[in-house]
Amino acid sequence: MAGIVPPGTTAVPADVSHTAHTKHDEKTDYMNLPCPIPYEELHREALMSLKPETFEGLRFDFTKGLNQKFSLSHSVSMGPTEIPSQSAETIKIPTSHYEFGANFIDPNLMLIGRVLTDGRLNARVKWDLTDNLTVKANAQLTNEPHMSHGMFNFDYKGKDFRSQFQLGNGALFGANYIQSVTPNLSLGGEVFWAGQHRKSGIGYAARYETDKMVATGQVANTGIVALSYVQKVSDKVSLATDFMYNYLSRDVTASVGYDYILRQCRLRGKIDSNGCTTSYLEERLNMGLNFILSAEIDHRKKDYKFGFGLTVG
Amino acid sequence: MAGLVPPGTTTIPAEASKTAHTKAEEKTDYMNLPCPIPFEELQREALMSLKPETFEGLRFDFTKGLNQKFSLSHSVSMGPTEIPSQSAETIKIPTAHYEFGANFIDPNLMLIGRVLTDGRLNARVKWDLTENLTVKANAQLTNEPHMSHGMFNFDYKGKDYRSQFQMGNGALFGASYIQSVTPHLSLGGEVFWAGQHRKSGLGYAARYETDKMVAAGQVASTGMIALSYVQKVSEKVSLASDFMYNYITKDVTSSVGYDYILRQCRLRGKIDSNGCTTGFLEERLNMGLNFILSAEIDHMKKDYKFGFGLTVG
Repeated sequence: MAGIVPPGTTAVPADVSHTAHTKHDEKTDYMNLPCPIPYEELHREALMSLKPETFEGLRFDFTKGLNQKFSLSHSVSMGPTEIPSQSAETIKIPTSHYEFGANFIDPNLMLIGRVLTDGRLNARVKWDLTDNLTVKANAQLTNEPHMSHGMFNFDYKGKDFRSQFQLGNGALFGANYIQSVTPNLSLGGEVFWAGQHRKSGIGYAARYETDKMVATGQVANTGIVALSYVQKVSDKVSLATDFMYNYLSRDVTASVGYDYILRQCRLRGKIDSNGCTTSYLEERLNMGLNFILSAEIDHRKKDYKFGFGLTVG
Repeated sequence: MAGLVPPGTTTIPAEASKTAHTKAEEKTDYMNLPCPIPFEELQREALMSLKPETFEGLRFDFTKGLNQKFSLSHSVSMGPTEIPSQSAETIKIPTAHYEFGANFIDPNLMLIGRVLTDGRLNARVKWDLTENLTVKANAQLTNEPHMSHGMFNFDYKGKDYRSQFQMGNGALFGASYIQSVTPHLSLGGEVFWAGQHRKSGLGYAARYETDKMVAAGQVASTGMIALSYVQKVSEKVSLASDFMYNYITKDVTSSVGYDYILRQCRLRGKIDSNGCTTGFLEERLNMGLNFILSAEIDHMKKDYKFGFGLTVG
């Protein structure tokens, strides 16, 4: 099931599909398949349900819109941060961060910039040149030498396929392609070459989705096998499960979680095969005012992370 | 203004007080002064407003009443705890505690016991022998040798005075006396002798209170001077201020704080001369269900402590 197949060769001949359409409503129209989701967002539902951004301490985010397109954001976070230690114990010291951000959002152009107090700069550009072609750029600059990254992406969106070409610093090249094969199933593949580390890789992905569930799978020759399944039990409740296995390093992690999206709040909980339970609650106190509670207990390492925060705007 | 003056010598002769009473209502009746508050609760209002029990991480308290007099309590707290370190930095490691407690509360007899997971036992007894005489006992037992304490208190409550005698382990003896001098002002003093440490001390205290304010001051020969002032601005708001000076070690701390007691919540905030700001919010979500948020920022030491918790029952 290689991904690099040009569109059109697997399509049913035109007259057969036409008569099929008048005969039966359920017969799939292979000329009108939906456009698949982008390759990097393959595991999107499972990621959103199972991996909330847990934190420890206090978090305060303030977003102020100056006009319809431009907004500024201030983000303060204070709390204990883990530092690497020689012993098996977890050691934390209290740290504080302030992040200033500016966003310009246009229908065709999106510019996002973030600056942190430790000197890191994060910049993202997304430019829709035409309806089908998008250029994305991403830069992360730091004070430390050789730790800065930059990457360019060129995305082409076809009728029922998407392709992407990536260029990054350190001679990083990548390409991926995903194609809708049936109205529910899409298959894709990717290749990448990292010049600096002399590594290359190839990977395959599949995604099957209906109204009620999404199942995805991804295999790469770097050793990663990632499977995920999300079931939408009702309007408000969805359950998700995730399985990650590295066949080179024999590392395996499985997790099960739930996602309750209620009117005033969103509650996500998850338990891991590493003995780690996570919970994340976002409550809408008022228009534009969100209160967040985050909890993570790692029973194996005996590490406890609790935090609360407020998001304004 | 020594405290050891027997009652009755500073009172006005009976007939003068009676004619004074019929003449003007504002003349104080020195035979009917109110009973002062106990000596150890002298700075009670300032303590309650300025020193809430801040914590870091998660706190969960559950109190279950088995019948009208007996109740059990379970208390779980998880989070980073500071450990002493050689460097100036604050180092924390995640710890977890569970505390089980039992309370028996009768009009005359009160028994309170607490056991922690680190092996500490805390027991308190308060027995009202008669209307005026109360016996109190307090024991703190630990696994470590020579770290256990026990103390007995005998309290006698007179018409407008209170006296207390204390006996503790390690040959600790103490006595305190407080007397109402006018309807608003009470003066008192204490002596103690610690045999084990070969220390003895003498202290004086004064407390002036009206409907709107309480001012208290305490001086001791151990070098401590403590003054406090609490002003009740309205039914819901009170402001408090505190000043502690040790004339032997030349250590000084002063703090200013507020206490908002609203219908659904109680918010206490304070700022210190050591650059430490504290905020403590208790919100009543439901009958018997309280949500607590605690925050403490020490700007001088750059230490941040944030916690949230739930109290049931």
